[in-house]
Amino acid sequence: MTTNGDDATKVVPVRHYGQWVASAFMLLFVAMLVHTLFSKVPVPSGAKVCHVVNGVKTCTPELQWRFSWTLVHKYITAPEIMRGLLITLELTAIAMLGGIVIGVIVAIMRLSSNRLLSSTAWTYTWFFRGTPVYVQLFFWFGISALYPSFSIGIPFTHIALVTFSANTVIAPFTSAAIALSLNEGAYMAEIARAGLIAVDEGQSEAASSLGMNRGQTLRYVVLPQAMRVIIPPTGNELISMLKTTSLVSAVGVMDLFGAAQDIAANIYNDIPLLIVASIWYILITTILSIGQFYVERHYAKGALRSQPPTPLARLIGDVRGIVSKMRTRRVPKEVRA
Amino acid sequence: MTTPMVEARGVHKHYGSHEVLKGVDLTVVRGEVTCLIGPSGSGKSTLLRCINHLEKHDAGELRVDGELVGYVARDGKLYELNDKQICGERAQIGMVFQRFNLFSHLNVLDNVTIGQVKVKGVNTDEAKTKARQLLERVGLADKEKHYPSQLSGGQQQRVAIARALAMEPKLMLFDEPTSALDPELVGEVLDVMKDLARSGMTMIVVTHEMGFAREVANTVYFLDGGVIEESGDPRVVLTSPTSERLKGFLSKVL
Repeated sequence: MTTNGDDATKVVPVRHYGQWVASAFMLLFVAMLVHTLFSKVPVPSGAKVCHVVNGVKTCTPELQWRFSWTLVHKYITAPEIMRGLLITLELTAIAMLGGIVIGVIVAIMRLSSNRLLSSTAWTYTWFFRGTPVYVQLFFWFGISALYPSFSIGIPFTHIALVTFSANTVIAPFTSAAIALSLNEGAYMAEIARAGLIAVDEGQSEAASSLGMNRGQTLRYVVLPQAMRVIIPPTGNELISMLKTTSLVSAVGVMDLFGAAQDIAANIYNDIPLLIVASIWYILITTILSIGQFYVERHYAKGALRSQPPTPLARLIGDVRGIVSKMRTRRVPKEVRA
Repeated sequence: MTTPMVEARGVHKHYGSHEVLKGVDLTVVRGEVTCLIGPSGSGKSTLLRCINHLEKHDAGELRVDGELVGYVARDGKLYELNDKQICGERAQIGMVFQRFNLFSHLNVLDNVTIGQVKVKGVNTDEAKTKARQLLERVGLADKEKHYPSQLSGGQQQRVAIARALAMEPKLMLFDEPTSALDPELVGEVLDVMKDLARSGMTMIVVTHEMGFAREVANTVYFLDGGVIEESGDPRVVLTSPTSERLKGFLSKVL
C-alpha cells in the first residue's frame, strides 16, 4: 500500500463531527463576545441626536461605546497611570528579588543537617504561607504601633547606637516591599528546595571527589542544575507577584491599580479605569512570559539533546514547509516519475 | 620500604544497625593496580568511598600516602578534619563513578576544566590546554563542545576519567566503571584504564570484569559480607581459589 505515488490508494481521514459542532458553537460565542465588546448603547442622560432629512426631523438616541473605549483611550497613558505603573514594576522587582534571595537562603537552611537551622526554616515557611498576604501587608504597614522606633545596639539592653522612628523608616512603599518580599520568600523557599533536591546526588558526589567544598559544589554544580527546575515556577511567581502588588493600594501606595481607582473616584466611573489597569497588567504579563521562555531555554542547556526551536524559528520553519510543499506540487508528473 | 599508597587496618563502617565493613585490611602499593571483587552488598564500593572520605569510616585506621583519612593524630587524640582540609585530601584522589556523574549543565571541555580552575586555581587557558590533551588521550578530542547527554555511556565514562585525571591525582578510584555500560562499550573504557595502568598510575578498581582483573591487576581482593575472604595475585586467586565463597562467586560471574 502506498500513499505518495500517483496510483496511491486514497486515504480518507477520520471525520470528527463532534469537533465540528463544538467549533461552530465556539465561533458563534466568540462573534457574540467581539460584538458586545464593540457595541454602542444610548448615553445614560438620554440625549438624542436629531437630523433633518428632506424636511423631516428624525431623532435617534445619542450612542456611546458600551465599554467606554473613548475614556479608556483617554486614560491609558495618563501621567498618574504611568507613575502607578512604574511603582507597580518597582514593587514587583523588589519583592521578587527579595523573595528569591530569602527563598534560596531558607531552602539551603531547610536542607541543612543542623536541626536548629532546618526547623527555623520550616517555621518561617509555615508562618508566612499560613497567613494571608493581605493581612501581612496591613501588619507591616501598622508595625509602628508595635515598635515606635528601631535602634541598632546591644541585644537585651537599652544601649543603642542609632535610633530611627518607625514612621520614617517604614513608609507605605517600604512596608509593602517588606511584606511582599517576606511572603514571597516562603513560596520561593519551597520552589528552591524542590529544585535543589531534584539534582541527582551523584552530581555533588562528583564535585566533592574533585575537591570542591560545599559552597563551590552548591554554586558551580547544584544551583545551575536546580535552576532548570526552579525557573518555570519562579516565572509563575513573578507573574503572580505583578498582580498581587495591586493589593498595596489598600495601604495607600499609589500603584497602577491605586492610581486607576483614584481617577475612577474622581470621574465617578469605574469600568474604563479597570480596563486601563487590566490592559497594562496583561501587557506586562505577556512580556514576562516571553522572557520566561528564553530564560527556560537557556537553563535547559545540557538537559535536552537538542534545544526546542524558538517560536520565530518555528514560524520560519512552517512557512518554509508550506513553500516547499507548494513547489513539489508544481513539479510535473513526468519529472517525478 | 616506601609507605604504601593506601593502607587499611581493621576498617569498620555501619549504616544504622547494618554493618557493611567488618574490619577490612588492605594494602595498595604505589604504581600498582588493585581490583576489589565480590558480590553486590559485600562492601567493596563502601570501602572505596571511605578511601576518599565520601563515607566516614567508624573504626579502624585508614591511611592514604601515609596520612590518616579524615583525621589528624595529635597528642594521642584524633582530630576530625574540617571541610577545607578534607577537600584538600580529596583533590589528590580521582574518582570515577558507575553512573559517570558528569556535570550535565557543562559541556565536555568545561567538565574537564572546572576542577582545575575552581579547586586548584589554574588559569583558564592552561586548564583548557590540559583538558584538550586529556581528551585526546581518551580519544574524545572532537567532542569538547558536546554536552554529556549527547554522548554514549562509554564516551561519558571516558570524559569522567579525563575529568578526574585533570586534577593530577596520585591515586585513582574506579567504582564499577563499566557496570552501567552496554556490553559493546565496555571495551573502550577498559582500554583507557589499561593505558592508565601502564603509565604507572596507582589504581583501585571495583569491578565485575574478571578478564580485566586478571590481565591488569597486580593484586585482587575478594570481599564478601564486609570482610576480605581472599586476596593475592589475580592469576592465582582467580584460577585456583581456596575459599568456597570465592569458588561459588567465580562460578557465577565467569
